[in-house]
Amino acid sequence: MNKVIEINHLTKNYGKHRGVSDVSFSVNEGEIFGFLGPNGAGKSTTIRSMLGFIHFESGNIHLLGKNIQTDLQTILKDIGYMPSETMFYPTMKVKDIIQMAADIRQKDCQAEAQMLCERLQIDTGKKISDLSLGNRKKVSIVCAMQHKPRLFIFDEPTSGLDPLMQNEFFKLIQEYVHNGATCMLSTHILPEVKKYCNRVAIMKDGKLQCVTSADDVLIEEPSLEDYFMHFYMN
Amino acid sequence: MLTIYKNELKTNLKSLLIWVLCVGGMGFACILLFADLADSMKGMAESFASMGAFSDAFGMNQLSIATLSGFYATEIGTIHTLGGAMFAAICSICMLSKEEDGHTSEFLFSLPVSRVQVVTAKWLTITTLILLFNLLCVLFYLTGISMLGEEIALKEFCLYHTLQFVMHLELAAICFTMSACMKKNRFGMGLGVVLFLYAYDLISKITPNLSDYKLLSPFSFANASDIFSTGKSDIAALILGGSILLGCICITLLLYKKRDLAA
Repeated sequence: MNKVIEINHLTKNYGKHRGVSDVSFSVNEGEIFGFLGPNGAGKSTTIRSMLGFIHFESGNIHLLGKNIQTDLQTILKDIGYMPSETMFYPTMKVKDIIQMAADIRQKDCQAEAQMLCERLQIDTGKKISDLSLGNRKKVSIVCAMQHKPRLFIFDEPTSGLDPLMQNEFFKLIQEYVHNGATCMLSTHILPEVKKYCNRVAIMKDGKLQCVTSADDVLIEEPSLEDYFMHFYMN
Repeated sequence: MLTIYKNELKTNLKSLLIWVLCVGGMGFACILLFADLADSMKGMAESFASMGAFSDAFGMNQLSIATLSGFYATEIGTIHTLGGAMFAAICSICMLSKEEDGHTSEFLFSLPVSRVQVVTAKWLTITTLILLFNLLCVLFYLTGISMLGEEIALKEFCLYHTLQFVMHLELAAICFTMSACMKKNRFGMGLGVVLFLYAYDLISKITPNLSDYKLLSPFSFANASDIFSTGKSDIAALILGGSILLGCICITLLLYKKRDLAA
């Protein structure tokens, strides 16, 4: 099976502060991969290293079979990323933001964007500054999905979304994954992982604790919550 | 890259128009006032020219403010120089830092665009804004001069405004480099740089010990009174200014490429 994400011995420190240390894992094509850990565990540092926002000290990262240190721009064309803090240019309208993302990608995403806006019930005529957090999240989903990427990276995607939209969001992910995409989902919400992910990685204090299948977790411990707590209490 | 350039231009258009109306409008009004003030200026010109260090600092020892060229160089020149420098600094000091200050860097850099392309697009925006600012202000001044029915030394006028454009670019480049190192918008710091360099320029004109170092200030090669009185500029200062401009852009590229972006 093709490896869409391959991280080997990733180490990143912020001066004297710990970032992540010797993190290695891989994600296969067509998986929904859960990335778990409490605040400050190193999930966002790993994701930010994967997307080239920050430079890491050692290790290497391959996404879609390419090294991010040499082919980042090519890789980003096939990635849909949704940050945990979704902020856009406040004076712009929703439709302009969506169009801007498509223009920079040099892709005609109009049909897909329209479908996504309808399903997520987005008013594209509104100004970004007039949107609530939940509505900004929806715009971020459209920007991440409209170009039909091969790899999705979501950082706490459902915080701020109402339950109906959370459901619609996961339906969309499943549809894209069904069509061949891969998804990495960083979250705190264990029921989401339990319900949708094939495998999970658990981070603690900047180190990877384990990578296991969601089914195996449920065999070892009565619930994912117990499994998760087992790592953090020890 | 073109998308970022167009977006930045659109975002900064309102600010450009406000600055043009303020600086160009003030210059335009001052030029029209010259007709009423011309007679009384004749008496004042002599005393203004013999005010020692004050006259030296503002170039009134070289030109008579009773003539339009002299009035333009000393009065309009000061308004345009300082107004344009402040606009250039405000435009560029937050051009890169605003992405992190507004938490939009993750959106922008998750798109297939390199940091070099972002820096290039943003620098092109600054250059365009400063060019438009200078052109529109010149339009205001020329309208005022033509309404006045007077003539102004055209060669000096063109040289002065060309060098002003270069000087504004140099100040913008210094602030742009600072912007590449900051995670928050610091408008005050940009204005501080402009005022410090302007004060340094004034002091270096009247302090003999500093006269050899006055070329360090960007204001030295685009000095209106020097240009309107001699018809030329300080070439050494211009070369140094151009080198600082290019150096700042290269440093900005290197710094921005290497730095970790804040969330």
